Amino acid sequence: MNIHRFGLIQYALLIVTAVLILVFLQTRRLDLAQHTHRLDLLLQLQQTEAQLDRNTFQMTAFQLVQYDPFVTYIRRIRDLLQQLAELEAGEAASSTLHQEIEAYRQALSDKFTLIERLKSTTALIRNQLHYLPAAAQTLSETHPQLGQRIAPLLNALYRYNLLPSDLARQRLLQDMDALAASAYLPEEREALDHLLSHMRANLRLMERLDGLRARYATIPTDTHFAQLYRDYSKRHEAQSRIARYFNALLLIVALLLLVGLGLALRKIYQAQQALKKAHDQLHNAVENLSEAFALFGADGHLILHNRQYATFYPWLRTILSSRPHISDILECQAAQEITLWDLKNRPIPPFKGRLPCRKDRFYQEELPNGRWYLASDTCTPDRELICVRVDISESKHFELELRKLYRALEQSPATVIITDCEGNIEYVNPRFEETTGYKAAEVIGQNPRILKSGDKSPEEYKELWDTIKSGRTWRGQFHNRRKDGKIYWESASISPVRDESGKITHFIAVKEDITARKRAEDQLRMNATVFETTNEGIMVTDEKNRIVTVNPAFTRITGYEPEEVIGRKPSILSSGRHDRAFYQKMWESLKKRGAWSGEIWNRRKDGSVYPEWLSIAAIHGPDHPHQEYVAIFSDITRRKQDEAQIQRQANFDALTGLPNRSLFADRLAHSLRSARRENWLVALLFIDLDHFKSINDTLGHVVGDNLLQQVAKRLRSCVRESDTVARFGGDEFVVLLDDIKKASIAAKTAKKIIAALQVPFDLDGREGYIGASIGITLFPTDGQDGDTLLRNADMAMYRAKSAGRNNYQFFTDSMNQQMRDRAALEQDLRLALEREQLFLYYQPIVDFKTGRMTGVEVLLRWHHPTRGLISPNRFIPLAEEIGLIGPIGAWVLEHACTQAEHWQEAGLDLHINVNLSTRQLALGLTPTYIADLLRTHQFSPKHLVLEITESLVLDKNAASLSWIHTLKDLGIRFAVDDFGTGYSSLSYLKRFPVDILKIDRSFVQDLPEDRNDAALVKAILAMAHSFGLEVVAEGVETCEQLRFLQAIDCRKGQGYLFSPPLPPEQIPLLFEKGFETCLSAGMQTVQPQALPFIEEPPSTQPDCEHAPQSGGGGDQEHD
Amino acid sequence: MFWRPVFLSLLFLGGVHPVFGDFPRKEPISPIPAPPAEDPRKIALGKRLFQDPQLSQDGTISCERCHRLAEGGHDPRPFSKGVGGALGSVNAPTVYNSSLNLAQFWDGRASSLEEQIDGPLQNPVEMAMSWPEVLRRLRADATYQQAFRALYPDGITAANVRDAIAAFERSLLTWNAPFDRWLRGDKTALSPQALQGYELFQSYGCIACHQGANVGGNLYQEMGAMGDYFADRGTPITRSDLGRFNVTGRPEDRHFFKVPSLRLAVRTAPYFHDASAKTLEEAIRLMARYQLGREIPDAHIPPIIAFLQSLMGTHPLLRP
Repeated sequence: MNIHRFGLIQYALLIVTAVLILVFLQTRRLDLAQHTHRLDLLLQLQQTEAQLDRNTFQMTAFQLVQYDPFVTYIRRIRDLLQQLAELEAGEAASSTLHQEIEAYRQALSDKFTLIERLKSTTALIRNQLHYLPAAAQTLSETHPQLGQRIAPLLNALYRYNLLPSDLARQRLLQDMDALAASAYLPEEREALDHLLSHMRANLRLMERLDGLRARYATIPTDTHFAQLYRDYSKRHEAQSRIARYFNALLLIVALLLLVGLGLALRKIYQAQQALKKAHDQLHNAVENLSEAFALFGADGHLILHNRQYATFYPWLRTILSSRPHISDILECQAAQEITLWDLKNRPIPPFKGRLPCRKDRFYQEELPNGRWYLASDTCTPDRELICVRVDISESKHFELELRKLYRALEQSPATVIITDCEGNIEYVNPRFEETTGYKAAEVIGQNPRILKSGDKSPEEYKELWDTIKSGRTWRGQFHNRRKDGKIYWESASISPVRDESGKITHFIAVKEDITARKRAEDQLRMNATVFETTNEGIMVTDEKNRIVTVNPAFTRITGYEPEEVIGRKPSILSSGRHDRAFYQKMWESLKKRGAWSGEIWNRRKDGSVYPEWLSIAAIHGPDHPHQEYVAIFSDITRRKQDEAQIQRQANFDALTGLPNRSLFADRLAHSLRSARRENWLVALLFIDLDHFKSINDTLGHVVGDNLLQQVAKRLRSCVRESDTVARFGGDEFVVLLDDIKKASIAAKTAKKIIAALQVPFDLDGREGYIGASIGITLFPTDGQDGDTLLRNADMAMYRAKSAGRNNYQFFTDSMNQQMRDRAALEQDLRLALEREQLFLYYQPIVDFKTGRMTGVEVLLRWHHPTRGLISPNRFIPLAEEIGLIGPIGAWVLEHACTQAEHWQEAGLDLHINVNLSTRQLALGLTPTYIADLLRTHQFSPKHLVLEITESLVLDKNAASLSWIHTLKDLGIRFAVDDFGTGYSSLSYLKRFPVDILKIDRSFVQDLPEDRNDAALVKAILAMAHSFGLEVVAEGVETCEQLRFLQAIDCRKGQGYLFSPPLPPEQIPLLFEKGFETCLSAGMQTVQPQALPFIEEPPSTQPDCEHAPQSGGGGDQEHD
Repeated sequence: MFWRPVFLSLLFLGGVHPVFGDFPRKEPISPIPAPPAEDPRKIALGKRLFQDPQLSQDGTISCERCHRLAEGGHDPRPFSKGVGGALGSVNAPTVYNSSLNLAQFWDGRASSLEEQIDGPLQNPVEMAMSWPEVLRRLRADATYQQAFRALYPDGITAANVRDAIAAFERSLLTWNAPFDRWLRGDKTALSPQALQGYELFQSYGCIACHQGANVGGNLYQEMGAMGDYFADRGTPITRSDLGRFNVTGRPEDRHFFKVPSLRLAVRTAPYFHDASAKTLEEAIRLMARYQLGREIPDAHIPPIIAFLQSLMGTHPLLRP
């Protein structure tokens, strides 16, 4: 209501003020300065016009010598008029004034026009007045008479000019006419006419001047000005009048405002009184509040607080009276150990600086003296802070009590459900949620029957309800259903809850999930069944190792009834077959690992002994570890029998029934032990059947197997019972002669065997012949262990075989030596690489046409420190065998490439042929490796030729084929080395991406005499050419061979005829020199120089192939 | 608008006072007044505009092209060539001292210098421009933008272009002529011949029209007041020959022209609106014949020329 009235007053004031301003503006319409300015302009106009008029009259009286003042005044008047017009332009209402000004301007304009005419007219008159005396002077000088006559006329003219009158003008014109009418001499006439014309012109102009002057006088500028001035004054007066009215109005309005102001002041006083009263009331109210109250101003200083505030915070009492700042209060509070909690009882950090000013911010303060205050710090819109504290200590303590109870409920391991009298759920605890899978929100208000699984009868439920409604507690079990449908067991106790008056208000159900217990019971039941029904005997002993229980299977196996054994020690079962150590081990294991299992022989009640598989495990009790044991055993009598069978199969050859390799090894080891002990001699006969393979292949496996069985029979018949005949697989048999007196017995036995096996065999109705080769080793002379003996026997057998079949051979020292040699060589070869004993030689490949060296074949040499040069034929196979060919091959490739790179830099355009071993493929010579190598040496793949053997080409392995193809794609060429010696036919060359065939030296060496070889070489060449393959002849040694090869269009070759393999430094020289002389003359070969071994020309060493030590035959070596 | 009174007072002090002041000699001719005080930047801008051919349609003709400041502020060609070689119909008068004239153009059709500028600028045979185009070109030039903004709050407008050019033209006063020095009392400033010329100039009546500070320029006079000039000229009368009649339409203004200033007469050949007099002698003779109604003897012409010579003052842009 008040606000409404105040708003009205505000509006009224606003309107009055607006009116005031409007009125004030109205009074302002009378602008004195502007008025003065206008008047000033008008005055100036009047003055200037008056000056102009004065000038005009001066001019017409010829008193003005120049016209510049006109220009000035006219400009000034125009300017003043312009100013006036501009001033009036602002006054929209005074159109009459505009018209007045326009009329005045028009009159002035007319005046200016007249002035211009007056100016030109007076100028002309002045012109004549200037000139006439001079003209008259001239006339009187030339015609004195005429001069005298004209002088009075001229005087009259000047008089007229000074004092014009119509009469004088009339008289002048008459006199001039009279003068002109007289007779004159021609020159007098001309001068007179000239003078008279000027005088007439003067009169004419004077007349015009008169007219102009008269017109000038009639221009009504003064009346226009007067009218303008009058109108302007009138208007000014009217405006002044209005201004006066508005002034009066202004006064009235101002008075009204003053009265209003007085009234307003009175109202304010009254309001202040009311406010003060209200304030006092409020203050009293606040002071008497049970809550503590404090109000802080926007500047943070305490404005108001009540007594209670000081009571709540007694330590603040000292500073409260001094209008403290809120930060001081906070500081004081911080000194006390006040803990702050939010409404959900979560701790909040103490406030730093200002209290956070938010709406409806409640929190709790816990004081060190145990009081609890509910605090709220609220901001008013004016940024004032209201702090209210309510003592909630009582309720807080209650709350804490309740919370404790609540927490107990919440954290109870038992499910708790509280329902109302109708059985509707009002509360469930989290355990309930866990157990049932229902969320509290889902079940509140529901009946607990949602959990029913349906196996309880309505009668049972009725009984439940009857019990609890009568105020008693019901106990029982439920078989309930979880939300996800799973069934669980729980035991429940449901009891009523009564209020103070004893009325039942709620029921509380406390339930426990007993599903696990139920399951355990089931499990136990199941275990018991297993215990009862299993086929394995079970026996449990207690901590004193007395039998506690046994199962029926125990009785079945041992024959003892439970009552016969319970309480006795398990040792009643002991068979006596195991020594004390056995049982000790068993107990150790039990104590250490808690378990033991193994085979044990026990005795039945009837006294029979039987094997059993026994597993003993300690039962882990919670507080007596390892003290009870359970023993489970099964009768393995049957299994034992089976094992014996398997044993036989593992040690004997299934086909012949002879001991196999493993049993033989056992027997051999056994007999070697005995032999060592007894200093016996032991002999080993390694027998390999001759021709068995062909029989097996031709007559089939069945016949082969039959044959082997017959052989086994005959072998057994050749030896003593104590000797061992074993089959090693295939057609290999070994005989072990134990304890022989001398070596000849072994030889005798061997002969006997050979003879026995020479007798024809019955092979499916046919007679078949085989033989045997036998190698013999003796212990201790030929080896100290079984493996060595066997290996040496094998070697001796091979020697026997190579010495002709049906033969026996003792292992000898030389064989041994050979073995050792080989081992030493192997050792040295392994070191050769790192000791840099390997180096490379290069044999030129020559173009028969040009005589130029086109390439070189790279040949490996090994310079052994003690044995000298070793033939590649010896060490390459060895390297292949022991896997060393991989690193050696890589070394060769790398060095050859380095060398080739040097040559290329030196300008030698040579391709290099490097021999490859088949084994290198398997040992990691990948295309990537070769590509990297070429890239490192910047060596064009086109200049690399890899020489491979026919066997590699024949290899149908896809891997090696793709290997060749990948390298081909790089641009590397392939040559088939030693072509013709293997099984290769030209036809398959089509399938393989080889580029070059190298005809083996064996075909070349007998050329051209050997007609077969000649025909073969021709055929190879023809075929190769037709496939577009290049052909290189190896081992060209004589001029005849060269000529023949040239004749059949073989284009390239290598051999001693051109050059033996050379160290790299000699190649450039030979390259320069070429082989033309050699070609054309078919003369001597080039003599190699400074070879590290003696180099003989092949003519004196034709069999160089078989004398690798001499370094010949390099072109057939493998690398 | 407090500056207006200041400006007015400056105008009065600079322009009016000398006219009314006491001279050592009371003669029909008064000395050239001092130029009005003006912002030198405005004069510089006016000068730049005056000399800028951009103000013509094809960018070839500046104001100065036909008012050659070094020579006499006029065009020595009979008729000026405008855009595209078009010929004007009257001889371009001098721009020097033009602010002292009562009006501009031969026929006085512009009452102020500002008004005058519109004439040649928009005349198709002169600069053939329109104001919007002029403003567009000037606004495209950053230096103009800057110069105008420094002087005028509203930048480049037609009124401001006129104002700048007029301010420059008002500064074109030929100061300190020998005759003016003589008027101020320097007895040695005039040669005896020039003094004789001045006396002849008066006695022949020339002084009736050619008086005031500008020795003319402050009234209109009929061409051929004492003889039929146009009949004797021998060429047909053109519209331009009608003179002030073209402005007022009043028959009595036929053949009336603004009396030209003689301050730079010795430099501003050819003479008359139709450029019919090629030399000063010829002009003097023709003027005596048609305006004074008499012939002047040969002997009197050199003194008059000497007198006219003494009327020429100096200006930095005017070749001495």
